[in-house]
Amino acid sequence: MISTTILKEVLYQALSTGADFAEVFVENTKENVINMIDSKVQTINDKVISGVGIRIFKGTRSVSGSVSSLKREDLLACAAKVASAMDGLREGKEIILRERIFGDIHPIMVVPSTTEKSYKAELLKRGYFAAKEYHKDIAQVSASLLDVDHNILIANSEGLLTRDRQIRTRMSISAIASKNGENQTGSHNPGKRMGLELFEEIDPKDIGEEAARQAITMINAGYIKGGKMPVAIENGFGGVIFHEACGRSLEAAAVAIGQSQFAGKIGQQIASSKVTAIDDGTIPNAWGSINVDDEGNPSQRKVLIEKGILKDYMIDNLNGRRMGRKGNGSCRRQSYQYAPTSRMTNTFIDNGTDKNEDIIKSIEYGLYAKKMGGGSVNPATGSFNFVVTEGYVVRNGEICEAVRGASLIGKGSDILMDIDMVGQNLDRGQGMCGASSGSIPTDVGQPLLRVSSITVGGR
Amino acid sequence: MKYTEFKELVIKKAKEAQLSEYELYYMESEDISAEASMHELTKFSTEDNRGACFRCIYQGKMGYASTELFTREEAQRLVLDAMENAAVIESEDKVFIYHGAYNYEKIEEKETTVPQAKDLVNLCLTLEKGFFEQDERVLEGSMAGVGYGKVKVALCNSKGLDLSHSYNYSQLAAVVSVKEGEEVYNGYKIVTEDFNNFNVDLLAQETVDKVVKTIGADTVESGTYDLIFSSEMMATMLSTFFTAFSADAARRGLSLLKGKEGEQVASAKVTIVDDPFYSESFIKMPFDGEGVATYRKKVIEEGKLITLLHNLTTAYEAGVASTGNGRKLNYSSGVNVLPYNFLLAAGEAGEKEEVFKAVGKGIYITALNGLHAGANPATGDFSLSAEGFLVEEGKQKRPVKNFTVSGNFYELLQKITLVGSDVKLNNPEGGVCFGAPTTVVKEISVAGK
Repeated sequence: MISTTILKEVLYQALSTGADFAEVFVENTKENVINMIDSKVQTINDKVISGVGIRIFKGTRSVSGSVSSLKREDLLACAAKVASAMDGLREGKEIILRERIFGDIHPIMVVPSTTEKSYKAELLKRGYFAAKEYHKDIAQVSASLLDVDHNILIANSEGLLTRDRQIRTRMSISAIASKNGENQTGSHNPGKRMGLELFEEIDPKDIGEEAARQAITMINAGYIKGGKMPVAIENGFGGVIFHEACGRSLEAAAVAIGQSQFAGKIGQQIASSKVTAIDDGTIPNAWGSINVDDEGNPSQRKVLIEKGILKDYMIDNLNGRRMGRKGNGSCRRQSYQYAPTSRMTNTFIDNGTDKNEDIIKSIEYGLYAKKMGGGSVNPATGSFNFVVTEGYVVRNGEICEAVRGASLIGKGSDILMDIDMVGQNLDRGQGMCGASSGSIPTDVGQPLLRVSSITVGGR
Repeated sequence: MKYTEFKELVIKKAKEAQLSEYELYYMESEDISAEASMHELTKFSTEDNRGACFRCIYQGKMGYASTELFTREEAQRLVLDAMENAAVIESEDKVFIYHGAYNYEKIEEKETTVPQAKDLVNLCLTLEKGFFEQDERVLEGSMAGVGYGKVKVALCNSKGLDLSHSYNYSQLAAVVSVKEGEEVYNGYKIVTEDFNNFNVDLLAQETVDKVVKTIGADTVESGTYDLIFSSEMMATMLSTFFTAFSADAARRGLSLLKGKEGEQVASAKVTIVDDPFYSESFIKMPFDGEGVATYRKKVIEEGKLITLLHNLTTAYEAGVASTGNGRKLNYSSGVNVLPYNFLLAAGEAGEKEEVFKAVGKGIYITALNGLHAGANPATGDFSLSAEGFLVEEGKQKRPVKNFTVSGNFYELLQKITLVGSDVKLNNPEGGVCFGAPTTVVKEISVAGK
């Protein structure tokens, strides 16, 4: 995308005021989104996102900048602007860029940008109409097919030069059921670091039907009465609670400045001994996988918690400097416009030893959260709130009627300790995780598990 | 190349492709920001970003393509991709390239100079230091941030429209954590103000004070309560559910206000206004994303729905004029229906203390979490984790947290019993600003212990 000579010039310019480290991140991304609503292809947009992000460090001080251009003058101007925020003299260090290739473990069989849009629209329609025709009470469906071809190049003053091409595809379908003046929604949105061959693995029809099934289930559901109770949380996107309430507090960005309830607790028990949690950016073709992170460190599989004991954090180079550690392939950014920081990739609670049927049987009165929606968490206190998009009352060990309006409220550190049964059907779900370095694709995951007691918000 | 040059090139390519109706929308922004924590500068960034979106009517459909690279190849690609995309679109929506209006509001841009890096750095270091002077329980890791931004949008089209507008803003933010015993409490405050007018000491004091007041917060008994939403949280509720007022959402069956114009949809205390020129907001726009002139409008007046918000397409379908709400918050996005400064207008119940006195008993809500997930604009349902204070005997009493408030936004509008006169604007979110006064909503379900 940019010649080595220019990259070096830019790095030298960035170091000109005494920074001890400089990095150039070059991006050229092509994105195509097709949207359907009201049974018609409504919009299609092709987008080129391209530019350069520059970062410099001096100790733990960092300055970053970006410019929407790949031209030498613009890059040098950006580097000069970034450098101007430090005040020193350049150290005489010479930069020798040597390219490194870490390999690509994510084969792409059908590159979406080389496929006709009419073909992509047909795939989307297949999912769309499966939802629309599922039941007479489905009043509206909206659907989108996204494909991204994200090309990055990272060069730094330590001589690293590397690239990655990240191709991702995702279909999202959302269905609304309407009955007696009320609406309820259901949605399903699987995605992978794959091309259009994704839809040989996952039939778009199943995506649509799943969204519609949830909406129909929920339009016929009553409301749950809130209170404290045991909750069984199903696999897949159920892992969002671990992601939000614990994963974020295991990112170096929170740990390094003491804004995490898990700071300084390596080797200590932070979860029940049933819990082993992993962040693994190396799963072939997974939505959150990367060959290299956005600092050019190769992706890793990191055991974060092993049988309840805190083992590791997700670390980027800058926060690593504050913690006396090296980055472990966890530094990510949405685009060149965002300064990168430590983030998750595919983060999940690993399979346990409990039988899934025993988990439900163990609950006298409680909630079975079959599908979780999103939620939010306060990283400093660990308090979280998650919505249950498809929930059922459990009575005497049996899953009974569906209930609406439930949310799970608690504290990350408490819920980790209160997970007292972990099943064996590990699966992952896809999300876009938002934080200071933008919105990035991540997988969440877990098997069916039980939290002995948690506050369920209802009405 | 420069945008002006790129623009000419794209127009030339569009003409070569025999397109007669097209538009180019351009956005550039210059941002500079700094953050301090642990008594040092932890982040400093400077961003110069720009992008342009081309759209054209081809075979009766509107095709889009956008780019951040202003090169010869991209000019050609924009036109070709937009045409290819138009050919796949099935929507029968009437699409428009707008001919323009004669009455665009003249908005004076406040002259400002881009602040110096050292001024930003000093400001956030001073603010961060200030936290610790307020209370010894303030934790390391509390953060101060400051940012300055300058935005320019321009729209030109084949109907001869050539508009542009610029604005700038500066913000100062405080995020404070406090530890008492083993428990951590936190909160934040953001102020939008002229860069030279920031009151750093006051912000440090107010933020620390806000957090310290929540120390010892415990849950509440489950039950039904009258809730007093702080002006900030009432504005937050509006920001969560504003799509209920979009004609685009309504025609898709995503708003229960569809077809309710002229009906009583809220209590008589409720008047909601969308004001593109609201004096206290830096969001002021003379034209929308389609080039339509903007104006101030009442959406709800004394409980009666006056109008939904429209763009050209939804207005055509409804047989009305566009309300000038066809907005593009990002240069590359389609034309959405969005408000500018969306406000619950001041009522007669006075400042919050007077509101407390009038209510007597209830919960004063000062924080709501889980909004992006625990609230559904299509159904109106919400279930949100909340924090606040008990109000008893007309006065603010002990802090409370870890409870959920649940209900339905459409019902909430009907249940508003008191509206204060203390309208405050929230911090703008993505180009839209929400505001409200202290507001009382009766009989909301609360789950605590």
